[in-house]
Amino acid sequence: MTAIREPKISINGVTLVHVNEERRQEHLAVEDLSLDIVEGEFLCVVGPSGCGKSTLISAIAGFMKPRTGGITMNGRAIEKPGADRGVVFQEYALLPWKTVLDNVAIGLKYRGIAKPERERVAREYLAMARLSDAAEKYPHELSGGMRQRVAVARTLANTPEIMMMDEPFAAVDAQTRLTLQEELLRVWDEHPITVLFITHSVEEAVFLADRVAVLTPGPGRLRELVQIDIPREARHWDTISTDTRFLKLRDHVMKLVRNPSR
Amino acid sequence: MTSQAANPFAMSRIDPVAMAGVLPFLAVLAAWAFAPTLSDIPTYKLPAPTIVWETFVEMTLDGSLLWEIWASLQRLAVGYLLGNLIAIPLGVAIALNRAVAETMTPVLSFFQSIAGIAWVPLAIIWFGVGEGSVLFVIANTIFFASIYSTVIGVQSIPQVLYRAALCHGASRWDIITSVVIPGALVQILVGLRTSMAYGWRALVAAEMIAGTNGIGYMTLEAVQWYQTEIVILGMILIGVLWLALDFLVFRPIERVTVRRWGLLS
Repeated sequence: MTAIREPKISINGVTLVHVNEERRQEHLAVEDLSLDIVEGEFLCVVGPSGCGKSTLISAIAGFMKPRTGGITMNGRAIEKPGADRGVVFQEYALLPWKTVLDNVAIGLKYRGIAKPERERVAREYLAMARLSDAAEKYPHELSGGMRQRVAVARTLANTPEIMMMDEPFAAVDAQTRLTLQEELLRVWDEHPITVLFITHSVEEAVFLADRVAVLTPGPGRLRELVQIDIPREARHWDTISTDTRFLKLRDHVMKLVRNPSR
Repeated sequence: MTSQAANPFAMSRIDPVAMAGVLPFLAVLAAWAFAPTLSDIPTYKLPAPTIVWETFVEMTLDGSLLWEIWASLQRLAVGYLLGNLIAIPLGVAIALNRAVAETMTPVLSFFQSIAGIAWVPLAIIWFGVGEGSVLFVIANTIFFASIYSTVIGVQSIPQVLYRAALCHGASRWDIITSVVIPGALVQILVGLRTSMAYGWRALVAAEMIAGTNGIGYMTLEAVQWYQTEIVILGMILIGVLWLALDFLVFRPIERVTVRRWGLLS
C-alpha cells in the first residue's frame, strides 16, 4: 500500500436509519460517516454489535438509501443494486434449488452469458475454491464452510468491482474459520479485487486487512482508521500469532473497540 | 450419489411397514363381505363385493365405465388448469405487491366463503345443466384451494435470497423465475395437491347436480333404478382414481424437486 490509488467507493457524511414500519420505530444505525474504500484494497470494518456495520453494506449495495450524505462508486452516485457490487452474506444465501455449479454461474446467467461459457467459468472458480467435486451437489448437502466458499466463488465469478462480505465466517466453527480466512487471502491474491469485509472479530480484521476502520458503538461513527502494514507473505495463522507487529496492531485495535469514547 | 437420487422415478423396494396401509382396506372389504350374512341386510341396500366386481367388469368391457371416467377426468383437467393458471400468478402478485394485496384480499375472503358447490344454482341459471356449470364450479373451487398456498409460499422466502439475486445482477423477471417460483414451490405443490383433492370432490358433487355424464352423474343416476352396485362402484372409483393421481403425479414431482433440494425431509 505505497502508491496512492483512487477511491473506488466514497462515503460522504452518511447517516443510515432503519425504519420498522410495523412498530413505527426508527433506529439510527450509522451517523455522519465518511470513509473512502480505495481501489484494490482489503478494508475491514470492525465495531461492537449494533454499530451499523452491516447496514453500511446494505447502503453500498443499494438495498437502502442514506438519510443524509451520499455514497459514490467511481464518482457516480449509487442508485440501486447491481452486479458491480457483489455481496457475500453471513447466511450464505445460496439458492437451495440450484446445484453448486448453477449457483456459481448465476450472475453470469443473469447477464445473459450462454450456458457452455458460464459453466466453463463457474468450473474455473469452483476449482479455485477447491470445490470441483461438489459441482453437482445441492447446497444442503454441504457443510457451512463449504457453502461459504461457494458463496465467495459465486461473487468472484461475476467479476464485480467490489466484493462486500457481511460477517461471512461468523456462522462456522472456530477451526474452519481460520482455514477460511487463509483461503480467502489465497483466492484474493489470485483474483485481486476491492474488498469490504465486515466483522466483529478484531483478530480476523487485523489478519485480513490492509486497513481496519473501527466504528463506535451505535450509532456508528468512524473512530479511527488503522493501517495494517504486515506483509502479505506473513499472513498465516501458524506464524502470525507470535508476530509482534500483529500482536501490537491487534491490541491497538482492541483498545479502540473496547474504549470507544477515548 | 445414491441410486435413488440418480433415478428419482425408481420405485423403492416394497417394504412390509409401507404395506401396512393396505390393512384397513382389507378390514373394510371383509366387513362389507360378511355383514349381510351376519344380519339380514337386503342386497338392494348393500350388494356383495362380488356383485360390484361383476358390474365393474361388465361396464369396463362394454366401455361405458371408461367413457364416464374419461368425461370426469377431462373436465377435472380443464378446471384444474383454469383454476391454477389464475390462482398461481395472482397469488404471486398478491405476495409481492402490497397494492394488489390490499385490493384483492377483502374480495377474495368474501368469495372464498361461498366457493364451490354454493355456486351451482347460479351456475345452472347462467350456463344451464351440463359442461359449463360443472367446469365453472370446479375451477372456482380449485382457484380458492390453491391461491393462499402460493401467497404463503412466496411470503416464506427469506429476504436475503432476493438481495443475493439483486447484487448478482438479477432483473425483475430473473427474480420471479430463479427466486420466487422455486422458493414458493413447496407451498405451490401443496396448493396443487389440495386443490386437486378439493376439485375432485367438487367435480363429483357438481356432476351429481348439474352434470349430464361423468362418475358423479353415473352414481346419482343409478339411484333412480336402485342400482346400488353402480353407486358403490362409483364411490370406490372416486377414491381409487384419487390415490392413483396422487401416487403417479404428485409424489414423483415432489421427489425430483423440493425433496431433492433439501426443502422437505
